[in-house]
Amino acid sequence: MVARFLANSALADTAAAWARDFRLLAPVREGQAVVYRAWAKDMHPFLGRPPTCSAKEALLPQTENLLTYTYRKDQADLTRTEVFVAEPLPPEPTLLLGARPCDARGRKLLDRVFLERGVEDPLYAAKRRNTLFVTGACERMENTCFCHWTGGGPTSEEGSDVLLFAVGADGGGYVAKALTPEGERLLDKLPEASRAAQEELAAKLASPPSQAVPGPAPDLSAAPERFLKLFGNMDFWMDESARCLSCGVCTYLCPACSCFNITDENSGMKGKRLRTWDTCMSALYTLEGSGHNPRVSRAHRLRNRVGHKFCYHPQEFPKDAGAQPEFSCTGCGRCIKSCPVSVDIRRVVLDLMEKGDAS
Amino acid sequence: MSLNPYLPSLATIIETFDETPDVKTFRVVLKDEAAMRAFRFEPGQVAQLSVFGTGESTFVICSPPTRMDFLQFSVMRVGELTHRLHTLKEGDPIGLRGPLGNHFDYESMKGKDIVFIGGGLGLAPLRTLLLFMLDNRADYGNITLIYGGRTPEHLCFKGELAEWAARGDMRVELTVDNPDKSWSHRVGVVPAVLTDLAVSPENAVAVTCGPPIMIRFTIQALEKLGFTDEQIVTTLERRMKCGVGLCGRCNIGGKFVCVDGPVFTQAQLKELPQEF
Repeated sequence: MVARFLANSALADTAAAWARDFRLLAPVREGQAVVYRAWAKDMHPFLGRPPTCSAKEALLPQTENLLTYTYRKDQADLTRTEVFVAEPLPPEPTLLLGARPCDARGRKLLDRVFLERGVEDPLYAAKRRNTLFVTGACERMENTCFCHWTGGGPTSEEGSDVLLFAVGADGGGYVAKALTPEGERLLDKLPEASRAAQEELAAKLASPPSQAVPGPAPDLSAAPERFLKLFGNMDFWMDESARCLSCGVCTYLCPACSCFNITDENSGMKGKRLRTWDTCMSALYTLEGSGHNPRVSRAHRLRNRVGHKFCYHPQEFPKDAGAQPEFSCTGCGRCIKSCPVSVDIRRVVLDLMEKGDAS
Repeated sequence: MSLNPYLPSLATIIETFDETPDVKTFRVVLKDEAAMRAFRFEPGQVAQLSVFGTGESTFVICSPPTRMDFLQFSVMRVGELTHRLHTLKEGDPIGLRGPLGNHFDYESMKGKDIVFIGGGLGLAPLRTLLLFMLDNRADYGNITLIYGGRTPEHLCFKGELAEWAARGDMRVELTVDNPDKSWSHRVGVVPAVLTDLAVSPENAVAVTCGPPIMIRFTIQALEKLGFTDEQIVTTLERRMKCGVGLCGRCNIGGKFVCVDGPVFTQAQLKELPQEF
């Protein structure tokens, strides 16, 4: 496939052109955060650092309609009311610009839940089929990044339709590499990358972004067993969760977390049934009508979050013996970066590996 | 209709009556008569009932598939949705999604003695299986029901309890924690009655459902009587939203109560991380 060149100066126009064919979600700066917004005129896409939120919004919106309902009087019997239910409209073709490789890999983990677990989720499936990811490869790893622990990397191609590599050549821009036929069509108006740009990229890839800051990846292949060994050790989980506030930001920003709530929003005689992100870090998540709660403390809830990512998921989707397990974590580090009390899931997992071995 | 698993079928309440001060029974039929005729489920399966505008919640279908004039649900008034449900009357529309979940393995129970052990509204899922077995009576050995509640008033399905006791082809043992003057049956908690009766594990299966504390002591009592983990069957409750294994909250370790359950043997539960 021909490598294309997307000049910094052409970024806004190219995005505008994509926005004619797609619902374009592009990262923009808002205060301290970088967030995805639907394309609007005069928008300035910002690819300079990883978006604060994960890209899952494109496939699993924070809030979406599952159905709408309307109550109407039964005209044949005015003592009665009838209810009518309608399904939501199919989603528009969407292009998400500026995800990172960790986000793109998150698509595979969402697929596991919504397409492969059992019942196919029709809302997710429809979005998955018509959403493209134009991903920005990472030039460096931040000190919260650990994608290399979970089978990814700063230039991982998995889950992307186009991967953009920043270069300084030709006035600055991106060497754009199409990874799927759909991705190739997105790039067909762009010029071929110059020899200088391609050589610069080749040199960068030959000495990949330093992993010195996060350090080498530990062997986590025994994580599922270590977790189960420590499952009943509540002292361990009390220590690990001591600072946790149960705010749930870790799960909301996670590219792999997929738990959701279903609630009705009523307005007069009609309303919507909504699906919204939910968080296993909340006590309400499992609180039963009787008052019984199987996960009554923060320790129980942090245990569930870590357990799902590093034990239950790899057990549900096993790899060949000897291969690195597939974790429900892409190592994006958002849960570490945005946690108000700096709970570090890497620390929890390393403690599991150490104490689960000893006990 | 589409294959959208979140889309309820429209249904109509045809009858309601009170079981206890806080439990009401609803009999419902699907609005589409052909869909009602085609509706198939197995004893132990659950469904989501919707009151559009309030939400939906999971309830066991407590009538058996051998009696398809209606689908029956018995609902305790505890939260927002169940309060709203309790205000509904005959003729009111509701939504129904189901059947969901696994079911009692009644095939493997054929030829065996069956001991039902229920507490409070925990009798609801047992009722489905019990009626199914009574409708296929020759397939099963001795049937015993041990059923308890806080007070006589808190026992569900009271009319049927007397009918079952009078049948002659099954044994009914009733108990309450706090009797009133009219109470002529046992007094005490269900596990104590179980121990007192010294129910034999020989060629038997125990099927139990009730409050978590009752289940815990019932399982201990069954183990003391010699029941193995494979001979103890229970049906669990968890907060649920989607009912199809996607929304996440009803997991016990890597299993989801809504699709891998609600029915589990004690042997299966022992395989799971102990989070109950």
